[in-house]
Formats: sequence, structure tokens, C-alpha cells
Amino acid sequence: MSCMFEEDLTAYVDGELPPARRAEVETHLGTCAECRQTEALLRRTLTSLPALPEFKPSPDTRRAVLAKVDALPLPLRERLKALLRPSVLVPSLGLAAAMGVAVLVTGQETQSVDVTDAGTLELAANLELVEDYDIVGLDSSEDLEVIENLHELEVQ
Amino acid sequence: MEPESDAHIMQRVAAGDRKAFALLFDRYHASVARFAFRFVGDPARAEELTQDIFVKLYRNAKAYKPTAQFKTFLFRVATNHCLNEVRRGEYRVSHTPTSPQEDAEEGGVDVAAPEGDRPDEAVAGRELERAVGEALKGMSERERAAFTMCRFEGMAYRDIAEALEASEAAVKSLIHRATLAVAKKIEELQAGTLPARSRA
Repeated sequence: MSCMFEEDLTAYVDGELPPARRAEVETHLGTCAECRQTEALLRRTLTSLPALPEFKPSPDTRRAVLAKVDALPLPLRERLKALLRPSVLVPSLGLAAAMGVAVLVTGQETQSVDVTDAGTLELAANLELVEDYDIVGLDSSEDLEVIENLHELEVQ
Repeated sequence: MEPESDAHIMQRVAAGDRKAFALLFDRYHASVARFAFRFVGDPARAEELTQDIFVKLYRNAKAYKPTAQFKTFLFRVATNHCLNEVRRGEYRVSHTPTSPQEDAEEGGVDVAAPEGDRPDEAVAGRELERAVGEALKGMSERERAAFTMCRFEGMAYRDIAEALEASEAAVKSLIHRATLAVAKKIEELQAGTLPARSRA
């Protein structure tokens, strides 16, 4: 760099300098032939750039992007909501209750399963889901937070 | 009726509205594709990068705060993605195919002269493309990103600084060095001293 004002010349040409500095550069240009040359070169360059050929992305890009987005799994929260819909949860409760009755009828001793506790079933269903790392978006901090909370519940 | 703001559309995208995402894609895909093309200099790779950037935007929609300009947020995602991919060695910077004929041979992606141009102007445009491509290839990645946002997207230094997570003073330096590099290549082109195209 040959002049302490040189690095400001592009910002000057772009109109990006604060007014005080702009005034200083203008004053300097009146006395420095080298900076005037650089300024002219920069202005010529900026004038020529619009003649560059334009890059046009392929029309297939839109279709490809929308297909990729459609193929993404729903966020975990939405999948959990779907799992906890009554139409899913009630048959699960029914199945668990039937299993409990069958155990009682056969008279076998067993560890008690609290089939009336919807929270237990909910947790089991959730853990099964969240442990499937191919399904869960592990790059989402929100998903990770939900997983962490479920593990804490499991420990308790 | 006023068009829906980008910030509002992003809120819908964050809530999982894929139609809103398509709207945003239509508004900005040309800008992102231009940026990616200037970053890697290869039309086919620019297409891949553009797709990845928009998928990443969709996945990170909740990270967008409506207080920030959407375009700045988008270009932060785009810059980080391009920098990461180039650093991981997924993409080399080539800036080799410059004519529509070559581009068609290398994947059918169009780098077209402006419509209605005369043939001699189209040739001049392709030569200019070669000079700018050579300059971009010789720049640091951050210079290339800053130059592209400034010269092809018309972004203000302040917004570029936010997209690059840099100071405005740093951006001023990056853009100055990059613009001078382009100016020198164009001078070489005009003086007939620009070397023949080199394949990366």
C-alpha cells in the first residue's frame, strides 16, 4: 500500500464512508495523483461489472429443493403430538389393559404394570421414538432438548 | 395489497409451512445461486450448493429472529455453508466453464449473456467473465464472499459484516482488496496480457 488513504478508496466510491472521513478522502484526492488513478480504476471496474453474463440456475433446482424438504421428517414435537392423539393412545391403552387382564386370568405372579397411567405409556412410546436416531433430527437443538428431558424422566 | 414480508413468511416456515417456504425460495433462489456460482465458479456445483443452502434454511428456520434482515440471515447461512463445503474439500474453486457451450457440455447449466446482446457483446461478456473468474479464484474465501455480496447482490457493508460475522472495518478491507484484484485482471484483459484460461 502506497498511501494511507488507499484502503478507503473503494468504500469512498461505494458511498460507504461516514461524512467526516468522506470529506478527508475528497480533500486528499485533490492532492494525490496516485489515489486519483486508483479511484478512476475502481470506478471503471464497477461500471464494467453489469456486462457480466448472468448465471441462471436450472429450473430443476426448485423441484429438487422442494422434494428434499418434503422428504425431511416432521419435527419431533409434531411427531410426538401425532403419537399422543387419542386415536393412537386409546388403542395402546386398550392393548395394555388386555395384556394386564390376561396376566391376571392365567394367575401368574408378575410385576405390576400400571395400565391406567397414560404417562407411562406415553413415555414408553416417546422413548422408542426418540431412540431411533435415524428418525430424530439430532442437529436440532429443540429435538435434543426433548430427548434429554425424556431420558431424565426415564431415570426417575 | 402489500407483499407479505420475508420475516412473516419465515415465521410460517418455522411453523412447518412448506408452501411459505416455496414462496421464499422463489424470491431468493436466483440470489443464492448467483452467490454460490461466484463462490465456486462451477455451475453444476453452484446448483448443488443452492439446494443444500435452502434445505439448511428450512431446517434452521426457527433460528431466524424477525429483528434481523432476512437477506442477511440467508447469506449468513449461504456463506457458512459454502465456506464449510470448500474447507471440507467437497468443492474446489474452479471458475473454468464460462461459455454457454462449455456449460451445456458440463451439465446443461446456463451462464447466459444478457438477453438482446449482440454477438460481439456476448464475446466481450464472456471475456470479462474470464477475467473476473480468474480474480475470484485468486481471492481468499472471505474476500470472495464479501465481494459477491457487495457487487452482485448490492448489500451494504453493514449487512455483509453481519452475514460474515466480521467487523465493518474488516469488510471494508476485504471488499477493497477484492475489487482491486478484479480491476487488475480486467486491466490485463484489456491489455491482452491475461493468461489463457487455466483448468483447475
